Amino acid sequence: MGRGLPTLLSPMPPELESSTINTTSEDDVSLLDILDHVLNAGVIVHGTLVISLAGVDLVYLGLNVVLTSVETAMRQLQVEEARSQR
Amino acid sequence: MIRVLGYCGFLERNGVVLPENGVDGAPVNVLAENGLRVLWSDVNWPFDANSLQRHAIEFHRVVHHVFAQTAVVPFRLLSLFENKEELRWLLQQNRGAFSADLERLAGLVQMECVSYFVPQREEREATSGMQFMKQKAGMWKSLEEYSERVQDALATISRGVRIREVKYGRRLFVLVERGCEQQFRETVQGLPLPAGMKYRTSGPWPAAEFLSDSVKAPQVAGKR
Repeated sequence: MGRGLPTLLSPMPPELESSTINTTSEDDVSLLDILDHVLNAGVIVHGTLVISLAGVDLVYLGLNVVLTSVETAMRQLQVEEARSQR
Repeated sequence: MIRVLGYCGFLERNGVVLPENGVDGAPVNVLAENGLRVLWSDVNWPFDANSLQRHAIEFHRVVHHVFAQTAVVPFRLLSLFENKEELRWLLQQNRGAFSADLERLAGLVQMECVSYFVPQREEREATSGMQFMKQKAGMWKSLEEYSERVQDALATISRGVRIREVKYGRRLFVLVERGCEQQFRETVQGLPLPAGMKYRTSGPWPAAEFLSDSVKAPQVAGKR
């Protein structure tokens, strides 16, 4: 794919250190963990960008947009959770 | 535009109950290829950036719905195919590797322990480069020792370990049999932590860190 996805938990930001996950219940898995796993773990299809380049650059553009959004979302989450812990 | 989003692959087994809806409420479909099954949905692409978090949770729910019943090879959320035939081609080309990994990982789950240091003010304000390097070396030594203690303590249930260094910490991925999740948590919880170090555990997750390289980055139609 040429560019890696960001590692979202590197490790859990200190603000979120109390968000331990100790059960198998889906409700107790944090959004940060979910984002990390669904974006960074598992099969990565390198053809995605190739496919997009064969057509329009929309997928490529979309990927950039999505990644920006994830990073923004992460920052927002960290701020919100830090606030809620005060 | 409509694209095919792959969720996960798994071996055909009787009694596996499938989720009905996936990302953005789209119906979840099954593609079967000689005993291997892959779940997929038609999705609108590119995703609306504001909906990404929701989509991530929806994606996670589909994968974990199946993972709760059997071993899966999870796809990443952004694994998109031009159409169903592209996905089928991927399955046909990689069926052997996918099936081998799924057989190897049957009955196993991935647990994670991340240990890390929260930088202290005095560390951040280290007055010299030498001081900073010493602190950093000490930190990594502690992390390494702790990581080894965790691995030793888990030796009886561990079926494999992967380690990834991250900023200020270490992620330890441990493969254990289903049913050993609580033992994993209790074992880690029972270990003394070096001063200043924190840890957290999570899981069970699909054993994504233990997939073979050919499954993690398979041949796809775009490479033809």
